[in-house]
Amino acid sequence: MPSLQESLHRFLAVDGVRMAVLIDIATGMIVQLAGKAGPDLAVTASCVADEARAARTALGPGQPAGDVDGITTVTTTRLHIARILRSHPGEGLLLLVDVERSSSNVALASLRVDELAPAVLA
Amino acid sequence: MDTVDPSRAPFGDALKECVDSKFCGVLWVEGWPGGAIYLEDGRIIACHTPGAPSLEVILLRSGRISESDWNAAFTAAAVSDNQMTAELTSRGLVGAGELEALLRTTVADAVFALVSGRIASWRTELSKESYSLLLSPGVNAAWLLAEATRRTKALAAFPGPALSALDRVALTSAAARRGPPLGQGRDEILALADGRRTARDLAFASGCGLYTTMLQLIRMRADGLVVTSPPSRASKPPGSPEAEPGTEDSDGTTAGLPRRRKDRGGLPQPSGLSRRNVGGSLQMLRPRSERGIKPD
Repeated sequence: MPSLQESLHRFLAVDGVRMAVLIDIATGMIVQLAGKAGPDLAVTASCVADEARAARTALGPGQPAGDVDGITTVTTTRLHIARILRSHPGEGLLLLVDVERSSSNVALASLRVDELAPAVLA
Repeated sequence: MDTVDPSRAPFGDALKECVDSKFCGVLWVEGWPGGAIYLEDGRIIACHTPGAPSLEVILLRSGRISESDWNAAFTAAAVSDNQMTAELTSRGLVGAGELEALLRTTVADAVFALVSGRIASWRTELSKESYSLLLSPGVNAAWLLAEATRRTKALAAFPGPALSALDRVALTSAAARRGPPLGQGRDEILALADGRRTARDLAFASGCGLYTTMLQLIRMRADGLVVTSPPSRASKPPGSPEAEPGTEDSDGTTAGLPRRRKDRGGLPQPSGLSRRNVGGSLQMLRPRSERGIKPD
């Protein structure tokens, strides 16, 4: 069985991926990461977890659109592809993949992340 | 064994020393809640404290794994001298990645509970203390301490008085009048908060981490759903922050009744056989999976 870090390392093989990090949504804690981490990653992780919680409150279970599966953020240079991995107990885990925008696009990056994501918690 | 006076060397330095020397063994921490940090090659592979639910408590209380499945896995692991983590994954009860993630969050929660309490002293022991759920590879101790600091700061950023794990939690009238389910674990907390349970008790009862529960409570307090009150002096466990031995409890229960004291009333205990010893003896008769820390 691969360890969490080995599972996350597989994302680094995808074109343009700088970092893959697993975040506990309930606490905002970085559970494990692979790749180049910035100095403010802990703060970023906490903020992304808060975003996921806020999105779930607005669009979560019981709402007509159904539960939140992921959040995509596009900046001038990066793509942040976030996927919620269901885990019980707890509010689940958030897989955040940081991609260079010049090397990929939202559709392609999302496709590759969705292919690899199920194996992370398996 | 080596006992260190915390007034001479802070706990963080002692932990750093264990990391630098690639210590293998147990770092016992006295105080409240106190606990044990298990290290291998200077990395933390487990942390056990009565201040935060263990992974066993979390998995069983939350219903993630049934008690019968747990007992079967535990028995098989004991018979085959196998690691419990391997047994759980090989039986398909939990994924390997998910289990590692749960172990890491549980260890971080235990270290947070341990270092945010009162640390009186600590000692290292070069022994291979058996512990059923070990993290492999271990976690960087400095990172866990930084995470505990981040959590403390996050809780302190909320308005109102600081929340302690020993604060009692009661519902407000607004919570009693609530309509549809609130979600995100809030309904479970409201169902369990009875004015007597502390934040720590709620974490154990709901099968959530201590920090997760405290974070939820402090948000709910800001939303006017719960109120928290600091524990009375006599109800604090020995060694807890500000606890003073021999103080009289003038507080009653939330219902206005005199508080029941462990050292008063009831049947006289024969000398040398305290209630705690009886409990400990009875605990030895239970299956190991049931010997976890119980909230009540």
